[in-house]
Order: sequence, then structure tokens, then C-alpha cells
Amino acid sequence: MPFYEKGDVRIHYEEAGSGFPLLVIPGGGLNSTIEGLKTHPFNPLVEFKDEFRVIAADLRHAKGGQSTGPLEIERPWDAYTDDHLGLMDHLGIRQFMVLGFCIGGPFIWNLLKRAGDRVVAAVPVQPSGYRHEMPELSYKNNMKGWGPELCERRPDIKMAQVDTFLSNMYRGERADFVYTVTRDFVRQCRTPILILPDDVPGHPYAVALESAYLAPNAQVSLYPWKMSPIQIQIALRHVRGFLKTNRPAAAAQPLAAAAQ
Amino acid sequence: MPFYEKGQVRIHYEEAGSGFPLLVIPGGGLNSTIEGLKTHPFNPLDEFKDRYRVIAADLRNANGGQSTGPLEIDRPWDGYTDDHLGLMDHLSIREFMVLGFCIGGPFIWNLLKRAGDRVVAGVLTQPSGYRPTQPDLFYQNNIKGWAPQLCQSRPDITMEQAGAFLENMYRKNADFVFTVSRDFVRQCQTPILVLPDDVPAHPYAVAIETVHLAPNAQVSLYPWKANPEQITIALRHVGTFLKANTPAAAAQRPMAAAAQ
Repeated sequence: MPFYEKGDVRIHYEEAGSGFPLLVIPGGGLNSTIEGLKTHPFNPLVEFKDEFRVIAADLRHAKGGQSTGPLEIERPWDAYTDDHLGLMDHLGIRQFMVLGFCIGGPFIWNLLKRAGDRVVAAVPVQPSGYRHEMPELSYKNNMKGWGPELCERRPDIKMAQVDTFLSNMYRGERADFVYTVTRDFVRQCRTPILILPDDVPGHPYAVALESAYLAPNAQVSLYPWKMSPIQIQIALRHVRGFLKTNRPAAAAQPLAAAAQ
Repeated sequence: MPFYEKGQVRIHYEEAGSGFPLLVIPGGGLNSTIEGLKTHPFNPLDEFKDRYRVIAADLRNANGGQSTGPLEIDRPWDGYTDDHLGLMDHLSIREFMVLGFCIGGPFIWNLLKRAGDRVVAGVLTQPSGYRPTQPDLFYQNNIKGWAPQLCQSRPDITMEQAGAFLENMYRKNADFVFTVSRDFVRQCQTPILVLPDDVPAHPYAVAIETVHLAPNAQVSLYPWKANPEQITIALRHVGTFLKANTPAAAAQRPMAAAAQ
């Protein structure tokens, strides 16, 4: 069971297959784990291992996962993004593609903001977003479904800290659009994006479509795409074609080689 | 202005760009012409000429077009498919992709039935299909909107012959996509991308049924042509699909070489 370690951070990850790297960010909000992929509409570790080096990790602090580290109250989104980029560094991967479910949507945008030169293409699947008519949804969901269990497991973390962490993550200026980037950022982001929309409270269709309309290189799958196994297969054909056509011709560059 | 001629058939066609061949079948029912592409949601001669050798033709006997030939009453669909395949032969093209609007849908299925080894991939844009609630729609549309003008410009063709032609084309094949069976679609391994519509002659249900049946089918977002942004997003999907399915050894293998 492999781990990436950096200071107090310890991230559990898994790999499957070989080829150009595809980072997978599971859904499940702040309880995003590799194990959770088994309950997703499809499991990228299974679906794409024949063509790509698929890498997935438990999110730091996720319930049921094995990744641990400090609660970075002042920079919640960026701390997770540190882990994603740190894991790629640890594996000697410079450029990669990324596919993320739910909370993976905001994480993907943050990766594009912080390391746009490393992310070759991205697939936000049923992406999370801010819903004006339910402004406190993500904060409250995590105050109930993530914070208490974390505090029980980690006596060094108090609910007051969790509250601040979640407020910085989902409230105030963050409470808009995809949480992590502005519409202006999306408008100028030339990275190819394929969005598989959803429309449950935490995954607003309108925000998914808005990002597709704004991003100059975005595509959208059929919708709905997960009501039946055949719909999922049809969507996966689109994803495969998208990943295939955006994979750089000279596959994965090791960090050392890329730095030269 | 180039023509392909074979016996009494004379087909006006145009080409744009270079690369792997992409046959384009304009919409407009039996009045399908190159000129008509200018009124379509997008014009493939413009959109794809930077990457592909795009070839479009006026349909034989289309009003407003310049293609002429006999009215093959006993084999209406196959008469047109002869022209499509004959034009590819004339241009020494063995393998090609095909993108068709409206009536191009049934024509693509007929091409796949008759020359599946030559058609590498197909894009069915707002495809025509049979709607049980309006069973005589195509016959009536064409007996009013195509036949009278044709008979006027071609005194050798009578309304009785045009009626028999349309009877064989639409009434005797009054189901699904007119040209092939569901069993054919079910076993057709050729990659297909469908951009559905839902006007009377372009039933959404039939478009989606083909996507569900065909083992290598994809479908675009829907609706995809309600505004320019949607069309652009759909075109990115088409671009990815064509690129993913362009044979690696880009292809224009002349027929003679391919036959060796």
C-alpha cells in the first residue's frame, strides 16, 4: 500500500495501468477516497488502466481513507492541491491529465490555476458547484458529515477549527460558481475540458454548463449520462476519445527530463 | 466546378482542404445541395477544411443543385448511395469518414451497410428517421416539395414515377432509420457520433435508439444548436471524434494501393 509523505502530510495512493498519467480525484466531498470509486458511476482505475497510468489518492483527512496531515485552516483548497501536485512530483510526473468526480471539479480548476502548464486536459465528472438557492449546503453537509468524525479520530482537531476551515472553503468570497476560480479564469483557460454534468443539490447543472460555455476549449457529454449502464458506456466512449486525442504524442515526461 | 460522371449520372461536387477524406452529405431532404450547407447549423466545408479533405456533393436530382441522373424507382436509397461511393471511387479514395445532416443519417447507415470496410467513422447530424405518429411525413413532404419542381425541370420524369419512387423510399421502409434494421445497427462496430434533433422529420427517439444500439456510438450534448455557444461545444466534440478515428497512417491510400 503506497504512501507519499512530505512533512506532516501522508497521502495514501494507488496506481493501475501504464501510459500517460491520469490523476483521478474521487468524489464524496471531503470524504473522497479510493475505496469510494467503487460506488461511483464508473471506476477510472478499471476503465482506463489499459491505456493510461491511472493514479488515485485518498483525500487528506477523508473518513474511511488513510491519508493524514494538518488541517490548513487558512488555505483549505490549496492544501489539497498541494497534495495532488506533491503526489505527481513524488511519482516523477510532470505533465498529466486529471479526471475528478464531484469535489474533483473545484480541485481540477484549482490545479489549472496553480499548475496549468502541467495539466494537459481535464474531465470534471458530476462537478460540485455553488447553488444560490442552497448557499450553505456544502458547509452544512461537511459540518455534519465530515467534521465530527474527524474530531473524534483526531483529538488535535477541534470543531471550532473545522468550522473555520469549512467557512474558508465554502463561505464568503468562495461562495460562488466553482469555489476555487473565477469566471474570468475559466474564460481564459485554454486547457481542453470535458464536463459530465449532474444536477443534484451539490452538483448544479447550471454551473457545470456555465463553465462549459465560458471555457474556450470545453466539451460536454450527453445529459443525463448515468441513468442506465448504456448511458454510462456512451459517456465513457466520449471520455476515451477526449483523453486519447489530448494525450501528448511524446507520452509522459519525467520531471528531470522536462526540466532540462 | 467539378463533376463526377458515370453513365447517365452526373454529380456536382466540391472539395475543401486536405488530409483524411471526409464526405459531407448536406441536409434538405431530396433537395440536398452543397449550397444548402450555408443554411445549416455549421458548414463542414469551413469547419473541417483545416484538417481534412472535405468533399460535398449535390444529391442526384435535387432541386437547386446541379446533379442529374435517372430516377431509380426500384432502388431509391441505393441509387443515391451508388453516387456517394462512385464519387469516392472517382477521387481514388478508399477509406473515408462521413458526416451527414438530416437525410444524411439514413444515407450513412446505407453506406455502412454497403461499404462498411470503407467508412471509418460516421457523424449523423440531426438525422432523419421514422416517426410512427406521422407515418406519411416524408412521402407527403417530398411529393409536394420535391417532385413537382423536378417534373417541371425534367419532362422525362412524371409525377407518377416520382410517387412510385417515394413510395419505395419511405412507405415500404416505414420504420426506424429507413435504410437498415435494428439488427444491423446492433452489430455495426464503426464509431458513430450522433447530434440529435427533435423536429418532426428528425425524431430524437430514433436518434437515441441508434446510439443505444450501436456498440461504438457516442452522442453530443442536447440541445446543441439553440445558440452559437452550443454549436461550438458540439463542434469540439465532433473534432475530437474525427481526430480520434482518423487512421494513424493518414490515409488517402489510393484504391489501387489499398487493393494490393
